Amino acid sequence: MKYSLDHKKYLRKLCMQDIFIHVCRILLLALIIGLWESVANSGIVDPFITSSPSRIINKLSEMFASGTIWNHIFITLEETILAFLFSTIIGSIIAIILYLCLPLKKILEPYLVILNSLPKIALGPLIIIWMGIGTKAIVTMGVLICVIITIISMLNGFIAVEEEKIMVLKSMGANKLQILTKLIIPATLPNFISVLKINVGMAWVGVIMGEYLSSSAGLGYLLVYGGQVFQLDLVMTTIIILCILAGIMYFLISIIEILINRKRK
Amino acid sequence: MDKLLCLDSISLTYHTKKGETLALDNLSIDVQKNQFISIVGPSGCGKTTILSIISGLIKPSKGNVTIEEEQVTKPSSKVGYMFQRDNLFEWLTIEKNVLLGLEIMHKKNKETKEYAKALIKKYGLEEFSHSFPSELSGGMRQRTALIRTLATKPEILLLDEPCSALDYQTRLLVQDDIKSIINEEQKTAILVTHDISEAISMSDKIIILSHRPGTVKKIVELDFDKKLTPFERRSEPQFSKYFDMIWRELL
Ligand SMILES: Nc1ncnc2c1ncn2[C@@H]1O[C@H](COP(=O)(O)OP(=O)(O)OP(=O)(O)O)[C@@H](O)[C@H]1O
Ligand SMILES: [Mg+2]
Repeated sequence: MKYSLDHKKYLRKLCMQDIFIHVCRILLLALIIGLWESVANSGIVDPFITSSPSRIINKLSEMFASGTIWNHIFITLEETILAFLFSTIIGSIIAIILYLCLPLKKILEPYLVILNSLPKIALGPLIIIWMGIGTKAIVTMGVLICVIITIISMLNGFIAVEEEKIMVLKSMGANKLQILTKLIIPATLPNFISVLKINVGMAWVGVIMGEYLSSSAGLGYLLVYGGQVFQLDLVMTTIIILCILAGIMYFLISIIEILINRKRK
Repeated sequence: MDKLLCLDSISLTYHTKKGETLALDNLSIDVQKNQFISIVGPSGCGKTTILSIISGLIKPSKGNVTIEEEQVTKPSSKVGYMFQRDNLFEWLTIEKNVLLGLEIMHKKNKETKEYAKALIKKYGLEEFSHSFPSELSGGMRQRTALIRTLATKPEILLLDEPCSALDYQTRLLVQDDIKSIINEEQKTAILVTHDISEAISMSDKIIILSHRPGTVKKIVELDFDKKLTPFERRSEPQFSKYFDMIWRELL
């Protein structure tokens, strides 16, 4: 395709802006790392307290070399994925049931609101007593954190679907199930994806919190342990690993989003 | 002529928390097969309500609605309802939008699909069958909505201000489109509109409603050469006579 000169200029400008943003991002990261390293080395602060990029890299290579870290990563990852899947599935099913049975929704509304604003960590002792110590308790914590907000935001999405579109289907003789499958679910798919994105983050929160409560392995366990024995290198390194993992999971959801959008359009 | 649709002393009251609204009061309308009827009336007089009752979406508080002597209690495939806005599903292609009614009614088979595709082709949307509604102009969207309604082969078409969302130029074109499609497919149609010229240019008979609660105030039988398109009707001498008469009634 042939573009006019103005359009080419415009495209070049867009491209330059893009490059500028990326360069700034990288510079910012380099700046933070550089400052951190030099401050820690200069003796202004004690690297024992603040750790430093070089120490973190040493720690990382040490942990990967000995292979101990893999076990922790896999445990936490497994728990997070389970919590994410369970809460998304259970939350969606409950949201659909409440949508199909609006009186039930009205009855449960105040309880949902209260549960949503309750800090789930408060339920920690109960979870441990009921579920025992270990994976089950941790996944439960993750599910509790995500599931209520999943229900509420999906339900709000369902209810926001235009009444007139529902009427169009009804005038064609559609039943409730058809309205749900032909209209409500496809219309709220973008909403569902944003719920997925929120849940990825929340599942990490819940699982790390669960591991704080009770665990013998996992990244949350490493954080607690590192804090207790004052190994700030270990704590910082674990946080970096967490950042990377959470980023990867978010990225995967974004890919799903792109695939779905491409299929639609 | 055969009486196809009969509204017999219909009344309808809406109940809400704030109170009750008598929207229609003792309203009777008869519609013959292949007639094109327009309903005009002041805003809020219950025009949309009439269509909702005919389509079986709401039940009248009093009175009876019958189609071919059969009482209407729920939506049936004999009636196709085209809403004021096109209400196309943005995530479906034009073709899938058109097939929606067939799918809902479990009538999607080779034959009905062919019919729907033929409609798409006949009314100039074939090259857009696989496009999404957002890629179409307002007039094309409106045509798609009409074809979606026609695809299930209803006997009666209910059109709620199908052109009100369009600009004047497009409106004239879509009016011609709708009229010729309905003539060609030999349907019976009931058109609700605010636009007096639209009513005169398209229908055989105009029903003028009173202010709320809606009752029939006057019925105007229109006399035009059958072959004229809506646009051509506008330059006929009797057009302005009818306009004047109806406009006075609506004051
Ligand atoms: N679902 C409803 N609940 C309560 N009142 C309603 C409802 N729908 C319509 N009404 C009332 O009934 C009356 C008739 O409404 P309707 O929509 O049939 O009018 P209309 O003639 O189609 O108006 P317009 O020309 O503005 O589209 C209005 O006064 C409206 O306020
Ligand atoms: Mg209306």
